Amino acid sequence: MSSAAGWYAVALSDGLEPGTSAGTRLFDKELVVWRDASGASHVWEDRCPHRGMRLSFGFVRGTHIACLYHGWQYDEAGQCRYIPAHPTLDVPETIRVATYASAEAMGMIWVRSDAGPSVPPPSNAPVIPVRSLYVDLPSETVAAGLEARSFARVSPGLYSADVADTSVLLAVQPFTVDRTGLHLAIADSSPAVMAVAVWAEELRDALEAASREDAP
Amino acid sequence: MSLVLHDYELDADCYKVRLLVSMLKLDCRKVAVNAHPGREHHSPAYRRLNPLGALPILEDGETVLHDAEPILAYLAKAYDTGGTWLPDDPKTFGEVMMWLAFAHRDLAAATLARLHSMLEVPADAEAVERASRAAFRILEDHMTRRELGGFAWVVGEGPTLADIALFPAIALSRDFGIDHDEYPALRRWMRRFRTLPGFLTMPGIPDYH
Repeated sequence: MSSAAGWYAVALSDGLEPGTSAGTRLFDKELVVWRDASGASHVWEDRCPHRGMRLSFGFVRGTHIACLYHGWQYDEAGQCRYIPAHPTLDVPETIRVATYASAEAMGMIWVRSDAGPSVPPPSNAPVIPVRSLYVDLPSETVAAGLEARSFARVSPGLYSADVADTSVLLAVQPFTVDRTGLHLAIADSSPAVMAVAVWAEELRDALEAASREDAP
Repeated sequence: MSLVLHDYELDADCYKVRLLVSMLKLDCRKVAVNAHPGREHHSPAYRRLNPLGALPILEDGETVLHDAEPILAYLAKAYDTGGTWLPDDPKTFGEVMMWLAFAHRDLAAATLARLHSMLEVPADAEAVERASRAAFRILEDHMTRRELGGFAWVVGEGPTLADIALFPAIALSRDFGIDHDEYPALRRWMRRFRTLPGFLTMPGIPDYH
């Protein structure tokens, strides 16, 4: 996950309930986003060190996440704490999952895309979360489409726009080389959540249609 | 009541019927059909029950029905006396029917993609994956709007046959290479569905422990 250093949203905060996990991707790298029972969120490499199974297929128990295959459990720091087949084993510290710096701000869960110089996470602001959705286009094409539609670029992964008198924040998640996630929140106390959600569907469909027309 | 379900454990349509039978706590004898590799559902005896040569098939005394969605509707009419799973009011009834049609028609691509991937049933792999993702997106958009409107289920106030008919194709999509990463609203809906009394899993749908 080395491309384009910076912070990227990978999910809406309120879309990830305590005690649940979800798989996602950033620059094609598989990530697990999970929230423990105490409410803290974590973004890790989505890979159990034992057999390589995606941890997002597993389940959260308290402050641990467990792999679906053999139940290996990892604590909040990614350290393996329990191996069911060897219940009395003091698990070696070498068995751990790669973790990423993450933060919650603006109603979204953000992850830092590389281990380079530490940049502070996006600052928080009160928002109303709307929805996430995924576009079948590369993030560069989506970014160009947003700029062509007069969206303001706040940072590499964040745009803002006024939609029917509503100030909308739109976070762009480079998902795979040909797919992009969008995470939307409303930056003021407007009640237009449903209208913005439907507008986002139309934006997705318009971006994809424009790309098809441009294709040779 | 002497219900007999002609069933194949790995069949997503049979799973729909097993789910409702379990959720309604019905006494139902399951006959395991050797669909793969035996193709027993194409045998003369099974052709007499369903000339289409497909599962599931439900017998209830003299009544013989095939195809999951009509079987679900029949079981709800016959045995769900409270009208929970197939509500009577015209709007909810119509919406349940609409999503049963979607499950049967639009999610058929997902059923075929899974059979192609698991049992090498002939299919255009790219076309069925594209059609599956298009259908999943429609359902994801629908469930997103339902959640924003304050609702937890596909139709109406509570779970209906629509949820049962839609669940298997989505929940089994990893069998044919579609992860749930791009469907956060469907992920939350599946999680709610799994908590329903009588829920049961099938191979491909993990049983958390």
